[in-house]
Amino acid sequence: MYFQDLILKLQSYWASRNCILAQGYDQEVGAGTMNPATYLRVLGPEPWNVAYVEPSRRPADGRFGENPNRLYQHHQFQVILKPNPPDVQEIYLGSLKAIGIDPLEHDLRFVEDDWESPTLGAWGLGWEVWCDGMEITQYTYFQQAGGFEVRPVAAELTYGLERIAMYLQDVENVFDVEWVKGVKYREVFHRNEVEMSEYSFRASDPKMLFGLFDTYEAECKRLIGLKLPLPAYDYCLKCSHAFNNLDARGAISVTERAAYIGRVRALAHECAKGYLDSRETLGFPLLPAAQRKKAVEAARAAREAREAR
Amino acid sequence: MADLLVEIGAEEIPAGFVPVALEQLERDLAKALDDARLGHGEVKAAGTPRRLAVWARDVAPKQGDARTEAFGPPVTQAFDAEGKPTQAALGFAKSQGVDVAALERKQTPKGERVAVTRIEKGRKAEQVLPALVERLIAGLRFRKSMRSRHDDVTFARPVRWIVALHGGRPLKVRFGEVVSGSVTYGHRFKAPKAIRLTGKPEDYVAKLQKAFVVVDPVARRALVEREVAKAAKAAGGRALENPGLVDEVTNLVEFPTGIPGEFEKQNLDLPAEVVISEMRSHQRYFAVVDGAGKLKNRFVAVAGTPVKDPKVARHGYERVLRARLADARFFFEEDKKRKLRDRIEALGRRTYQAKLGSELDRTNRMAAVASALARALGKEALVADVVEVARLAKTDLTTGMVGEFPELQGIMGAHYARIEGMKLEIADGIEDHYRPVGATGELPRGDLGALVGLADRLHQLVGIVGVGEKATGAADPFGLRRAAIGILRLLLDRGYHLSLAAAVEETLNALAGVKLAQDRAVVAEQVLDFVRGRLRAQWSEEFPSDLVEAVLAAGFDDVVDARQRLEALAEVKARPDFVPLALAFKRVANIQEKAGGPGAARVDPALLRDEAERRLLAELERVEAEAVSFRQHRNYPAVLKNVATLEPAVAQFFDDVLVMAEEPALRANRLGLMRRVASLFADVADFRKIQAELPPQAQQPQA
Repeated sequence: MYFQDLILKLQSYWASRNCILAQGYDQEVGAGTMNPATYLRVLGPEPWNVAYVEPSRRPADGRFGENPNRLYQHHQFQVILKPNPPDVQEIYLGSLKAIGIDPLEHDLRFVEDDWESPTLGAWGLGWEVWCDGMEITQYTYFQQAGGFEVRPVAAELTYGLERIAMYLQDVENVFDVEWVKGVKYREVFHRNEVEMSEYSFRASDPKMLFGLFDTYEAECKRLIGLKLPLPAYDYCLKCSHAFNNLDARGAISVTERAAYIGRVRALAHECAKGYLDSRETLGFPLLPAAQRKKAVEAARAAREAREAR
Repeated sequence: MADLLVEIGAEEIPAGFVPVALEQLERDLAKALDDARLGHGEVKAAGTPRRLAVWARDVAPKQGDARTEAFGPPVTQAFDAEGKPTQAALGFAKSQGVDVAALERKQTPKGERVAVTRIEKGRKAEQVLPALVERLIAGLRFRKSMRSRHDDVTFARPVRWIVALHGGRPLKVRFGEVVSGSVTYGHRFKAPKAIRLTGKPEDYVAKLQKAFVVVDPVARRALVEREVAKAAKAAGGRALENPGLVDEVTNLVEFPTGIPGEFEKQNLDLPAEVVISEMRSHQRYFAVVDGAGKLKNRFVAVAGTPVKDPKVARHGYERVLRARLADARFFFEEDKKRKLRDRIEALGRRTYQAKLGSELDRTNRMAAVASALARALGKEALVADVVEVARLAKTDLTTGMVGEFPELQGIMGAHYARIEGMKLEIADGIEDHYRPVGATGELPRGDLGALVGLADRLHQLVGIVGVGEKATGAADPFGLRRAAIGILRLLLDRGYHLSLAAAVEETLNALAGVKLAQDRAVVAEQVLDFVRGRLRAQWSEEFPSDLVEAVLAAGFDDVVDARQRLEALAEVKARPDFVPLALAFKRVANIQEKAGGPGAARVDPALLRDEAERRLLAELERVEAEAVSFRQHRNYPAVLKNVATLEPAVAQFFDDVLVMAEEPALRANRLGLMRRVASLFADVADFRKIQAELPPQAQQPQA
């Protein structure tokens, strides 16, 4: 199965389960969770079912294209099911069958894994899903995002596409994965790995990045003040990426690190709050009409209680 | 009589949670039935990662009647002179909701009172059980739990079904959105269809067995062991023993199947611990060794599904391990490029503890304390090596390998030290300074590891207490208890006659740059108190606590010496003449205490009037002379036995002589005599703390 067939199979599987097929976000993120289609949409009472491929950049993970398993940028296939249906595990296992992983032929396991993102103020419980000893999916029941309870609970399924493709194609080096007939992953992304690693570890300008961080942070705060949580969140993501670049460059000391993470978390929290308020003002349009009024009242009560504190 | 069967079907519960939850279910169900006055037979829990079950056999069909009594005012206040109920009686009757005529009179330890007896008729079991089972499920506590969908109830992972049967009839039980029924499900992949249950435990276990679920954890554990042994044999060796991994794997699968695999032989060049950690920590594979215990390039994985063709799964297991070992090799080769000595500086960039500074500060202090300890023991020749080990002890924290496998700290340092060609003793010292891990872990092989390990733990204990942190209750977030226990085990194992107070002082000297939360003296006192507490707790598990108290009261600055005194005391206490001896010494000590310090004078033989006094002095001089050499050799049993020979003279003295004589000179002289007797054992044990009594018939009137 070619890399792109893997994507197509997952997309059509989840599309047939009534998920919105969205796209990866059009700016740098470290994981599909940071895409507003996950981070913001899991907040509040509205249902939301979505699937998309997220190119995920992790500057510190770059290996100049020399490591067979580690990449500056990998691809996650991200699914959000909110609320999660009672047979969510079975539906997920169905997606594995769709890509050719038969649970009677492979040793599939759900191995405890608690997920936490300090920069997003988010956490959840779930598993790493193992196929014959290899992690192929991170499966999480979101409990909190942006410091707010996720209610109803959303299930997040994050497939590691490169790993799964390596397994299905039985290759030991990610660059040997066939993207499509006649084109390997190497041809598509190797040079990107080399240059991005060079940039992250050696060529980036920490002084400029520190400056950008402060600028983005100020802009995010300004936009929050203007009750524009969506553009504000864009700047929060830019802060996060600037931080990741600085971190990879070794420009942030251990003691400063926690403070920077705290600054991003504070922005993410404000964006989440602004988003919740704006959905409330809109009357939670994704809810069935009969439930909206009650949901708005509940949200208002929760907001007032929060503000009273 | 009918059996009660409850099963909570859940998505995969973390392995570590399962045994804890089963224990709680068993305990809670038994208690709930007892509290509900429902007679029952055996209560037993069983489960896997996908189900927690508990059953009670022969649950009575009906609750026992409950009889409760409420007591009101005394009869004397409840009725007036004419026998009419008073306001007090009326009030009590009203509060109990009965007519005043229904009040009874009952004798109580506080006299006769009015009372109301109520009999609550037992209800039928099926009326009581649903709520009881709901409370049982809602009462389960996990280390971490989560909400599943819309509702507020939390569980380790989402609950998907509940079985609740009493005598085969379903009980209606609800947990969040899930309502109970009478069907369960087998293995997720091999037997996913609904299985109807009769409610009999035997039926439950047998039907699940057929559905590829070994629900009894004991049976499943045994099966894991058999499967692993079989697969290891097929791989040409035997599995390296690892009970912790067996426990974990038992609760990762419902139906274990052992599958052998192999990895490239060249990876055996890597330190065996690294290969084992890669397999164990990341993959939950069992390592395989040959007859001589040497690691083979084989492993055993335990599959959760009896897969169609084990070769497919095996191929996957091997692929993952190959990538992992390639990573390990990368770390190993990279780590070797930088010598341990060149890593010392990098320790300065790692925080040990916010108020105590960096890992470099820590190692510098460890070196200072460890060399002071070596000197105190007269081991001057070791000082240079001790300093070397201390300075290198933490350098492997900066290696990639320890970053990946924290459990290999010390072990990797030792490997790299040997590879660099350092002396074996230095390498062993680096590894051993972490020993003992826990109360039963292996101890250091030599002085270097022991001294540096002592210094590390002293620094931890004194440093953390010094900056104002404490161990409270069961929580020990800073490892203070572990540190104290480590110190004690090291001292006792090595037989180091070190002064604890002096060691604490040395540590405080090394901590000179740190801002303490209290005065030095207060910190030292808190640390010694803490150590004393550990000693008392540990030794009281082996010896009667009064003996431990007696010995600790006489001092524990030299822990090894205190231990020897304790053992001697326990030995002597078993002798028949111990009781009179202990009583005599108690009296001596009590008189000492009563008279206070300044009352005693140097013993002047000229002032000894009584025969008993003169005899006591003569005996005392004999015992003092004899005891010198015993004391020098810390032969405490001999010291105590020797001192015991003084007992008749002491007893005679108390019979014949009045210590607190009118005449001040006589009194001071006699107190002086007592002081000399007391000093014979004052530094061995405080006899006042020992519980010793004569049998009643032999008890003598007190003088």
